[in-house]
Amino acid sequence: MSKLQIITKGIIKENPTFALVLGMCPTIGVTSSAINGMGMGVATMVVLIMSNMAISMIKNVVPDKVRIPAFIVVIASFVTIIEMLMQAYVPSLYASLGVFIPLIVVNCIILGRAEAFASKNCILDSALDGIGIGLGFTLSLTVIGAVREVLGSGAIFGYTFADGVMPLLFILAPGGFLVLGYLMVLFNKIAKR
Amino acid sequence: MVVVLLLISAISAFLVALVNDVTKDTIALSNAKAKNAAKFLVLGTSESEARITRDTTCKIGDFEITVSTVTRNDDNAVIGYAVEAPSITKSGYADRITLMVGFKEEGDRAVINAVEVLSQKETPGLGANMTKEGNSLERSIVGVDPAELKFAVSKEGGSFDALTGSTISSRAYANAVETAYAGYLWATGRLNTEAGAETVTGSTQQTDSNLL
Repeated sequence: MSKLQIITKGIIKENPTFALVLGMCPTIGVTSSAINGMGMGVATMVVLIMSNMAISMIKNVVPDKVRIPAFIVVIASFVTIIEMLMQAYVPSLYASLGVFIPLIVVNCIILGRAEAFASKNCILDSALDGIGIGLGFTLSLTVIGAVREVLGSGAIFGYTFADGVMPLLFILAPGGFLVLGYLMVLFNKIAKR
Repeated sequence: MVVVLLLISAISAFLVALVNDVTKDTIALSNAKAKNAAKFLVLGTSESEARITRDTTCKIGDFEITVSTVTRNDDNAVIGYAVEAPSITKSGYADRITLMVGFKEEGDRAVINAVEVLSQKETPGLGANMTKEGNSLERSIVGVDPAELKFAVSKEGGSFDALTGSTISSRAYANAVETAYAGYLWATGRLNTEAGAETVTGSTQQTDSNLL
């Protein structure tokens, strides 16, 4: 697999949201607006790239039987450290992305990629996989967020274009599932061609 | 196998502790700075134009309410009171929320000037909208005499227009404003008035049952 393919497969063939169906909790939780989806996606991508590299580095040291708990410990410490560093040295970034960081610890994409990719591949490939999957996740969340924001609050990226009462359902979780379901059908229909 | 896992856990724990140690002062400092700026912001002024002349803290149960008297530099007139207060009896969706509420005095009535959210962990896009400027909660109480407020969301007969889809967060917000008002009354020595006494005993009683 070429380096470029590792990246592109994360966007289409192994799109974490629409194809792998991983990380559904943050997907439904934060995509009430496009900008929130994007923020979560970017934060996840950064953590994913670094955790993939870390896992790839220690993969030969960790015995098979304890790899899952070992990965979880590494990822959780990692995310906590990033959160603290961000809060201390880039408070403005923390103010906009900080709410998503704790959600990343429980994000199964991170563990999923550690297990499925980083524990079997070299550091560079693992980082590229992090970029690809991260991009895929960011794009999916932004699209879901945009659709929900347009339908639910008559706005896009915070810019309101329709006033009045919009169907609040789309901001709430049930609407999130509806949008996710329909977009998944659409995505797979297009991707299969 | 056990050794490796133990080692990984130990190294991780050490690193987290180390980073925590390095960053905790910086974090506390930037939080304090943000909090200080909010005190001036809720009274429509800034650190260059005014100063804090008095800080008083009162305790209700385990909770602290800090009332800061903000005074204009030019004529030494008291602009108003910035009250930092947590939601005591009602938690938000994830955690308690903390507000900074600015009270100004116009004649013998007090008026809520502005509200800043200091900390909250509500759902992005729903309860977290309380941090947005001009949200429905803030709009429904700014410029109002808190003595006339009913500290509940409007569908429960209160004065607060809840954020869409976020009744729980809105209740916590109303509760934090109520706490702030009680702190304001306390700091300005007006607790003996009927309304004030009611507010505070109400909060205290509910706090106790909440803590138990």
